[in-house]
Order: sequence, then C-alpha cells, then structure tokens
Amino acid sequence: MKEFIATFYSHFGAIQFKRLCDGKGLKAAVMPVPRSLSSSCGTCVRFCAEDPEEFPEKTEEMEQIVRIEGEKYITVYHIEE
Amino acid sequence: MKNEKTTIAIAGVIIGILAAGLVYFGNPVNMGFCIACFLRDTSGALGLHSAAAVQYIRPEIIGLVLGACILSLINREFKPRGGSAPVTRFILGIFVMIGCLMFLGCPFRMILRLAGGDLNALLGLVGFVLGILTGVFFLKRGYTLKRSYKMQHTEGALFPIVEIVLLVLLTAAPSFIRFSEEGAGPGALHAAVGISLAAGLIVGALAQKTRLCMVGGIRDVVLFGEWKLLLGFAAILASAFGANLILGAVTGTSYFNLGFAGQAVAHTDGLWNALGMALAGLGCVLLGGCPLRQLVLAGEGNTDSAVTVFGLMVGAAVAHNFGLASSAEGPTANGKIAVVIGIAAAAVIAFVNSSRKGEGK
Repeated sequence: MKEFIATFYSHFGAIQFKRLCDGKGLKAAVMPVPRSLSSSCGTCVRFCAEDPEEFPEKTEEMEQIVRIEGEKYITVYHIEE
Repeated sequence: MKNEKTTIAIAGVIIGILAAGLVYFGNPVNMGFCIACFLRDTSGALGLHSAAAVQYIRPEIIGLVLGACILSLINREFKPRGGSAPVTRFILGIFVMIGCLMFLGCPFRMILRLAGGDLNALLGLVGFVLGILTGVFFLKRGYTLKRSYKMQHTEGALFPIVEIVLLVLLTAAPSFIRFSEEGAGPGALHAAVGISLAAGLIVGALAQKTRLCMVGGIRDVVLFGEWKLLLGFAAILASAFGANLILGAVTGTSYFNLGFAGQAVAHTDGLWNALGMALAGLGCVLLGGCPLRQLVLAGEGNTDSAVTVFGLMVGAAVAHNFGLASSAEGPTANGKIAVVIGIAAAAVIAFVNSSRKGEGK
C-alpha cells in the first residue's frame, strides 16, 4: 500500500475529497499541508492506495497529488493551468 | 516535521525580540508590530481618514510584504493567484479591521500586549478563540469562497509595487501625505525608517518561511490537534516577554506593566475587547488567515489577499470616519453597533457560502 498526499485550493476541497476516499474504502486523513510541499497553509488529505487507478474522481478544487517516498514527494498528478 | 517545529520556534523568538526592540527604538508601547494599527496609520497618511493622531506610512508593513515577496521569489514560491470571491474578501477585511480597532490591535499585537503585561488582551484572546471556533464550525459545514486561479505575474506583482510606491512617498514626504505631529498620538511614535523597514523585511521573510498565522495556529489545533503554527506565536509571546524584562532592567524604564488599567493604547472594557476580537477571529477564519498572513500571501502574489488588505485599509478609514474605533477611554456606541453588525454580516457570509455536503470533515 502506497501513501499519497492530495492538496487543494480550499479547505472544502479537502473535506470533499476525504469523503470520496471514505466512500471508496481508502484510509484517509485531513491534515495541514506539509511546509516542504507548499507555502500554502491550507488543508491536505493523506491517503493510502495501491495505485493511481484506485484514486477517487478528481475534483475542481484539487491542485495536485504526490506519492510519499521517504522524505520526498513524487508528483503523480498536477492540474494544468 | 521536527525541523519544521524548530524553525518556527526560532522564528518566533527572533520576531518577539524584534517586536520588543522596535518599541525601544520608538514605536508605541506593546506595538512593535500591529498589522491593524499600522495599516490604519498608513490609511491616515494617505488621507483616507483624518484622525490626526494616527497618520504615518509604517515601513514595517512595506517590509513585511517585500520580505515575503523577495523570499518567495528566491524559493520559486511567488505564484500569482486570485479570483476567489474578491468582493466578499474585501468586505470581510473591512469588518475584521472594525473588530481589531474595537480591541485596539490585531492578533499579533494581542500577543505583544500580553507580553507587556496588558491583561485586557486576555479578554481579547478569549473572544478571538470563540470567533475562530465559530469559523471552524462553518468550515466543517463546508464553508468555502471557492478556488483561486492562476494570474499573470504582473497582476501578482502589483501589490508589492504599491508597497514600493508607499516607501517612495514615505521618504519623499510630499505635502499631500499626512504625518501625525509630535505628541499627537501613536502615529507620531515610530522607530527610524531604516530600522522599521529592516525589521519588517526580516519578519516578512520569517513569516513566509514558516507560514506563521495566529488564526491558522488555533484553527489547526482545533481541527487537527496540530500545534506547530501556534508554537510560533507561543515563542513570540515568550521572547517578547523576556525581551521586555531585559529592556526594563537595562534602561530603567518599565516595558512590562502587569494589570488592566493604564495600559498603552488600550481600554479596559472586557466585553467589547472580547467581542472585537471575536469578530476578528471569525472574519479571519473565513478569509483563511490573520492580517499578518494576508500581507505575506499578498507578497507571494496572492491577489485575493491583496484585496483583503485593501479591505482592511478601507475598514480603518470607515472606523475612524464613522467614530467606530475605540480609544484609551473605551469603545464608542457607534463602534459597538458596528461590531454587532460585523458579527452578523460575517455569520451570514459564512452561512450562505457553506454547503452541508462538507459536514463531518
């Protein structure tokens, strides 16, 4: 099981995504965004999944999803702007 | 994670020392930093209000924005964004300032007032926490001002450029800029421009690096049991307190006066101290950060925060033009009405922007 962090443009986006994770049976927790990941002081969702195909549907509020590799974050998805 | 906590604690200690030092160099007592007061003074200098006692372009504000801007440029974190309900943010900014000027200080000065022994700030803190808890209630119900969008670099750069223009106006001092005359009040009390600007630059950079935010600190404790952000303000409290005691011992002038009565730029009406900060706390949760954080985000290119700062400045003008701001004598009748209206308006904004879909975080 791999660990991921999803960041959002609003707190609401995070709690919405957490509910989607809960709905898919993925272990997920809402938490403050790690500083090394972003200068935003918003809310992120840390969740577990086997691979990206298990991810819930991406929402409009989502900014990015990274995979946690030790101390590093590997980007697996970033919104195109 | 441990590193992050150490960084924020060290930043807090440095900021507390700088805040106490600014008072030594000339700022009003317990006002090394006060985002609300300093934006109010700047509004006055620009002629947005005519309260002669509080008119001065505060270099600390300029430094905070530019310090955050420079560090974010260096770290490639300068990301112009905007478009998240700017008018709502502008109006919330107005009300947050009205709340702060009821109390006579922003959350940052609340901590500095506590560090100076001003127990009136305890009542402010109680109200502030209650306001934040109310805001968190709406966050859990799905409150959102919707997402922001990427903006052009020129759009994000405009607010820092405005600060540079203010610095030019401060140093050139043309006749249309108003400065409080000596002895007129808090606006006439200030450290030298270079010292204030340098302190602002350092604190702006530190706040950008650590994401220091009084509102975010308490919000994170309530929502996630995460104390990291609040640790910064605890460090500011402890270090400013220590620096006040040292300055008192060295200079023979007291920088720490424990009690309610006779505090500098403060009044003793506990209920309205609490309600003023309750409005500030609620408004800031809805905005996503305290006034200090809004300045830092504006420095990073966040135009929604820049609009919020303009709202805070207009709020200061409204507060002084309509007789809403408190004084050492206490709150005004107009101010009490405005704070009640502000709390009601913030609650309505929170309610209409909440979706029950978000319930249960």
